[in-house]
Amino acid sequence: MALRNVVLPNEDPRQLLAIPKQEAKLYMSFMYVAFISLFIGGLMGLLQVLVRSGSFTLPFGIGYYQILTVHGVILALVLTTFFIIGFQFTLMSKTVGMSVKQRKVSWLAFWIMTIGTLVTAVTILLGKASVLYTFYAPLKAHPAFYIGLALVIVGTWVAAFVNWRQLYLWKKGHPGEKSPLLAFMVTINMIMWFIASLGVAAAVLVQFIPWSLGYAETINVLVSRTLFWYFGHPLVYFWLLPAYMAWYAIIPKIIGGKLFSDSLARLSFVLFLFFSIPVGFHHQLTEPGIDPTWKFIQVVLTFMVIIPSLMTAFSLFATFEITGRRKGYGGLFGWFKHLPWKDVRFFAPFVGMLAFIPGGAGGIINASHQVNTLVHNTIWVTGHFHLTVATTVILTFFGITYWLIPHLTGRKLTKSVNRLGIFQTIVWGVGMLIMSGAMHIQGLLGGPRRSAYSDYGGTEQAVSWGAYQMAQAIGGTILFVGIILMVYIFIKLTFFSPKGVEEFPVAEEEENAEPTPKWMENWKLWIAITIALILFAYTIPFVDIIQNSPPGSVPFDWPIGNS
Amino acid sequence: MKQNGKTYTNHEKEPNLKGTLLSVGALGLFIVISWTVVFAIFLSR
Repeated sequence: MALRNVVLPNEDPRQLLAIPKQEAKLYMSFMYVAFISLFIGGLMGLLQVLVRSGSFTLPFGIGYYQILTVHGVILALVLTTFFIIGFQFTLMSKTVGMSVKQRKVSWLAFWIMTIGTLVTAVTILLGKASVLYTFYAPLKAHPAFYIGLALVIVGTWVAAFVNWRQLYLWKKGHPGEKSPLLAFMVTINMIMWFIASLGVAAAVLVQFIPWSLGYAETINVLVSRTLFWYFGHPLVYFWLLPAYMAWYAIIPKIIGGKLFSDSLARLSFVLFLFFSIPVGFHHQLTEPGIDPTWKFIQVVLTFMVIIPSLMTAFSLFATFEITGRRKGYGGLFGWFKHLPWKDVRFFAPFVGMLAFIPGGAGGIINASHQVNTLVHNTIWVTGHFHLTVATTVILTFFGITYWLIPHLTGRKLTKSVNRLGIFQTIVWGVGMLIMSGAMHIQGLLGGPRRSAYSDYGGTEQAVSWGAYQMAQAIGGTILFVGIILMVYIFIKLTFFSPKGVEEFPVAEEEENAEPTPKWMENWKLWIAITIALILFAYTIPFVDIIQNSPPGSVPFDWPIGNS
Repeated sequence: MKQNGKTYTNHEKEPNLKGTLLSVGALGLFIVISWTVVFAIFLSR
C-alpha cells in the first residue's frame, strides 16, 4: 500500500512552519559556536601549513601537535557537530515543529555540548592534550580532554532524542501520512550518529577515562582504535548527510526546480544508514591483529556506499537537466547554462559537489587494500578529507549559511553579500585546489601526515616534498583569507544586513510524482538491518581481537600528549 | 500501475535525461581511471 500522495501542508513552502524568535535564538547559538570554531580552527590550520613549509617556527613554545589537535578537534568535531545539530533543528522545526518542552531540552543539549567543548578546548590549549583528534592510545591526554569529548557526545544524544520525539509527535498527529522528507533524513542521520557514537563513548568511558586517571594501568590499543573507527567512518557520513539533505531537498528549490524523486532520496539515506557503520576496518587496513578476511568483508561493505553516492549524483544531474529543459534549454548539455551561477546559495554548494568527484574517487582508493598501502598515513589522506569535509561539506554549509542566518535573524541576503559569497567560494576553491592537490601528490611521493616539519636528514625523498609543502602553505594562506571572508559574511548576515524576510527554500514534489511506498518508513526494519550488519561485520573479529590481544600499553604522555 | 484497486496509466512523457546519463557515466569513468592510475603506481613500486 502506498502512502497518501497528497501535497502535505508541510511540503508546501508557503505553509512551512514559522520559526519563533525563541527558537531562532537557540539555532543561532549553535551557529555562533560553529563560526567561532571556524575562525580558531582555521587559524591553527594556517600555522600548520606555515610550519610544514619549513620557513616558520611557532612562537612562545607552542607545540606543533598542540595546534594540530586544536585544528582537528575544533573543525572536524566542534564546527561540524554544532552546525549540523543547529541546522537539523531548523529543518525539523520548519517541517514538523518544535514544542516549548522540546526547545528547553534542546537548550540542555546545547549547553552540555558547549561545556564539553570548552573543557576539551581549554585542555588542548594548555598543552595537556596534544593527542590529535583521533586520540590514539597509547598517547595519553589529561582526563579532562576525554571527559569534555564525552560531554559533547552526550549533548548530541539529547539532541537526537529531541529530533526523534519531534517526528514521533508529528506522525501521531498525521496518521497514514508520510513524514516530511527533511525530517526523515534528519532522523536517519541521528540514528546513524547515535549507533556509531556508542562505540567511541564506550572507548572513552570504559578505556580512556579510567586509564588516564590512573585507575587502569594499561589500555588495549587495538580495541580502542577499533572502537574509534567503528565511530570514525560514520562520523564522515554524519558530516556528509546534512550536505546531502541540502542537495536533495533545498538546491532544487533554489534553481527553480522540483524534487527529482522522494523515494530515491529516502532510499539512498536508508542505504547510507546500512553501509556507513560496519566498515571501520578500511581505516585499519595496515593494522596487525585484525583477520584479513574481515578486513576484506568490511571493504566490500564500504564499496556498497558507492551505490547511494551514485544515486545522489544521478538525482542531482537529473534535477539540473529536467529543470533546465523545462526552461527551454536544449541540446545534450544546454541545461547546464540555466543553473543560477550568480546565486551563492547555489554556487557554493555546487563547487562543493564538484570537489566530491575527486573526493569520492580518492575515498574508493583509500578503501582498497592494495592501494591503501600506497597512501596509508601519507598526507594524501589529509588532502582527501580536505576535499570531502573541508570543501564538499563546508562549502555546502556555507551555501546554507547565506539563507539560513538571515532567515533566523530576520534579515536579507543582500546583493553585495551574495557577490562577496561568490568571491569567497572562488577563493576557497582555488586555495583548496592548490593545498589539497599538493597534499595528494606529496602523499603519492610518500610524504607523511600528522608530522611536524623535518628534512629527515636531508634524504632525497624528503627534498622532493619541499615544493609541495610550500604549495600547501600558499593554498592554506588563501584558505585562511577565505575563512576571514566567511566570518565577516556571517557577522554581516547576523547583525548588519537590512531587516527583511529571507526564504527558507524547501523543494516540492512534482504534482504527478509516484507515491512513496509505505515500507520506506519501516523504521524497525531499517534499524534491525543496520544492527544485523554491524553484528555480522564486527562480532567475530572483535571477539578475536579481545581474545588474542598482546599485553595492553601503559600510557605515554611524552614527547607529545600531556607534557 | 495498480493502486488502491484502480489502474492508472502514466501518459506523461518520460523526461529526457541523456545529459544525466552521460554525466554519471563520465563520473564513473573518472573513478575507474583514478583508481587504475594509483593501482599502476602500486604495481610499479
